[in-house]
Amino acid sequence: MGSNGAGKTTLVKHINGLIRPNNGRVILDGTDTKYMSVAEIARVVGLVWQNPDHQLFLDSIKKEVTFGLKNIGFSDADANDMCNRTLVRLGLEGFAERSPFSLSGGERKRVALASVLATEPRVLALDEPTIGQDAKQKKKLIELLKELNTRGCTVICITHDIEFVIENFPRTIAMADGKIIADGSTHSVLTNDVVLERCSLTEPELTIAARSLNKRFSQVSNRLTLLSELEDAITELLGGI
Amino acid sequence: MTLVDINDFSFKYLGAESLALKKINLQIEAGEYIVITGPSGCGKTTLCRTINGLVPHFHRGYIAGNVVIDGLNTRESKVPDLAPIAGLVFQNPANQLVTLNVEKELAFGPENLGVDPTEIRNRVDSLIETLDLEHLREKHPHEMSGGEQQRVAIAATLAMQPKILVADEPTSNLDPKSARVILKIISELNKEGMTVMLVEHRLDLVARNATRIILMNQGSIVADGPSREVLALNICDEIGVGIPKATQVYKQLKQKGIDLGTVPLTGEELAVLVEEVRSV
Amino acid sequence: MLLLNCLEGYNISFLEVFQYTRQESVIHQLDPRSKLALSITVAAITLLFLNIIPLLIIFLCMIPLLAAAKSLRRWATSMKGLSFLLVFIVIFNTLLSTVENPLSFSIALAIRLLALMSSFSIFFLTVHPDELSQALIQMKVKFEFAFAMSMAMRYVPTLAQEAYAIMDAQRARGVEMDKGNLLKRIRNIVPIIVPLIIVSIRRALSIAESMESRGFGASENRTYMEQLTFRKRDWAVLFVSVILLIVTIYLRFFTILPDWVLWGLPL
Repeated sequence: MGSNGAGKTTLVKHINGLIRPNNGRVILDGTDTKYMSVAEIARVVGLVWQNPDHQLFLDSIKKEVTFGLKNIGFSDADANDMCNRTLVRLGLEGFAERSPFSLSGGERKRVALASVLATEPRVLALDEPTIGQDAKQKKKLIELLKELNTRGCTVICITHDIEFVIENFPRTIAMADGKIIADGSTHSVLTNDVVLERCSLTEPELTIAARSLNKRFSQVSNRLTLLSELEDAITELLGGI
Repeated sequence: MTLVDINDFSFKYLGAESLALKKINLQIEAGEYIVITGPSGCGKTTLCRTINGLVPHFHRGYIAGNVVIDGLNTRESKVPDLAPIAGLVFQNPANQLVTLNVEKELAFGPENLGVDPTEIRNRVDSLIETLDLEHLREKHPHEMSGGEQQRVAIAATLAMQPKILVADEPTSNLDPKSARVILKIISELNKEGMTVMLVEHRLDLVARNATRIILMNQGSIVADGPSREVLALNICDEIGVGIPKATQVYKQLKQKGIDLGTVPLTGEELAVLVEEVRSV
Repeated sequence: MLLLNCLEGYNISFLEVFQYTRQESVIHQLDPRSKLALSITVAAITLLFLNIIPLLIIFLCMIPLLAAAKSLRRWATSMKGLSFLLVFIVIFNTLLSTVENPLSFSIALAIRLLALMSSFSIFFLTVHPDELSQALIQMKVKFEFAFAMSMAMRYVPTLAQEAYAIMDAQRARGVEMDKGNLLKRIRNIVPIIVPLIIVSIRRALSIAESMESRGFGASENRTYMEQLTFRKRDWAVLFVSVILLIVTIYLRFFTILPDWVLWGLPL
């Protein structure tokens, strides 16, 4: 997380080699990325962009999803299998022969996501995945990300959506002016006023509530972040009336 | 007086399989602050475009029923006729700035309508002052941040002196700080008498200032009333609308048997309620 | 002008001389229409001569004008950027042309190019794109066309940014743009061009909605907040341009030019 221009996207672009460092190194799974081309890194790192239209250009979803796979070197047969699996996973089974341009914005986002997930990357980075998504879509997204993470995929998310982060991500890295100013558990990073100020973020809703309660009842921590925590605190205060 | 009178209005986009709007009945009085929300595809964007005539004149399709804006029926009145009454602000800031500097942008609308040049100059200067755009006067749109661009877009819409400001997710592409600035501007405009219709997902930021919240789902209005009433309904969870966390806490506690009385919309209100209940 | 944004990284510095800069100068304050008349007149005059001396005179006359426009340094750097091209022209024309004095002819051509560029650069350096648009409108060009021109300029940097984003997105999927033979590289343009076109069309629709909502195309009686008006100095410039043109045409076609004017390098 970080304010506009803090360097979030620039940093993530180093992970898949789109930008190379002027100083220092980027080491991906033991190998220095300077020995790898972007296409080679693409086998390991998948990047999902904010605007799905930046990558859709083929006339069927199937072609779109297998495009990346073929670039990386999978055979046609393998590519087809992986494509079908991914489409089912993202709820796009019936759409294989349809043109991506005939779909709604949300559906196109899923197609773009499918085409990146099909390559089964070990690292998945997403740039502002929650913009324009309603609550249900966000829920589906987070379920997918959690499932991927359980299977060993590293998930990196660039976002402004503090509620999304605080509910779902254990670790948060805060950036400002091209530097990392905080890196640790989401709970401690996002309840820190200095971090919020420098990253142009606003307090999470529940923390605001916690602080208001803390002003009146000092036994309530002013750094609560979870709904259940707040519920419990209030239940306790009201003595289980 | 009723500024917006939508009667049994239905609309189907040309080439679409289903209705985008199904028998919508909605009345908006002058001075109200209406917030519309709902899951993707529920018709809120289409509804916004009905107010200034883009539906049906720009987006072709099949209509039934009537939409009357300040006495003008959108079946007959074209978009330019409705422009001085209903101003529309869109989600993408960059696509609303079509000229090379702020002054020209603000003048664009009135110029199109044939307003007198001295009057245009007055409006432009006064808007630059009210919306604090002086430092942006000579900037190219590409050099402005999303928040600044959206401020200019709002000013450009206000330059036509509309009676109702319709904003379709104006903060979705903005960072949290800019989003708050824009919402504050909108709420201040409402306090000064502008009727506002806002489509917004971040209900925690607008629920308090809104006079009414309207929930939409699959082309129909499923709830319409004061914020505290609507957000406490169960339908919010059913259709997948993100209500303020404080309200969620209220609902959870209610299920456990703890009733805080009024429905809180912000963390502060929640704390106050807890205090009151405790002291009883 | 704003094309320069797209050409980042390419050393086409001579295009800078066609880029507007805001300055406080007498030339900047002139109405664009009188400047257009002046530039066209000078261009016409340069086309009348193919000898070194007259072209040199014309070229040197541009310099005080450029100085008055406070743009000498910018112009000088651009001319330097052009020097390679000029040498190229001189050499090739000397070797390949069939006139009787090829070196003299080639040098004259080079000077003519310089003079032409300088005359139009005076225009573009001192006329803001909005002024140009307004001038066209007041010269009875339809509003929609003039506006389409300024909109195109407004969106050039935005489109360029979009193109870079698309390139990044496709590279991240394994599209390798700098490898392979010529045929492969051309095919690799497709994943860039198609999204760019689609995105531009979507953007255009969004822009159209916004413009329509603000009454675009509403009435024939569109008003303009800022109008261009001709002042005495503009009439003076126009008058001088016309006189210059008439006199030069007369001199060129209806009198015998003295030898020193027709002087060429002895070769």
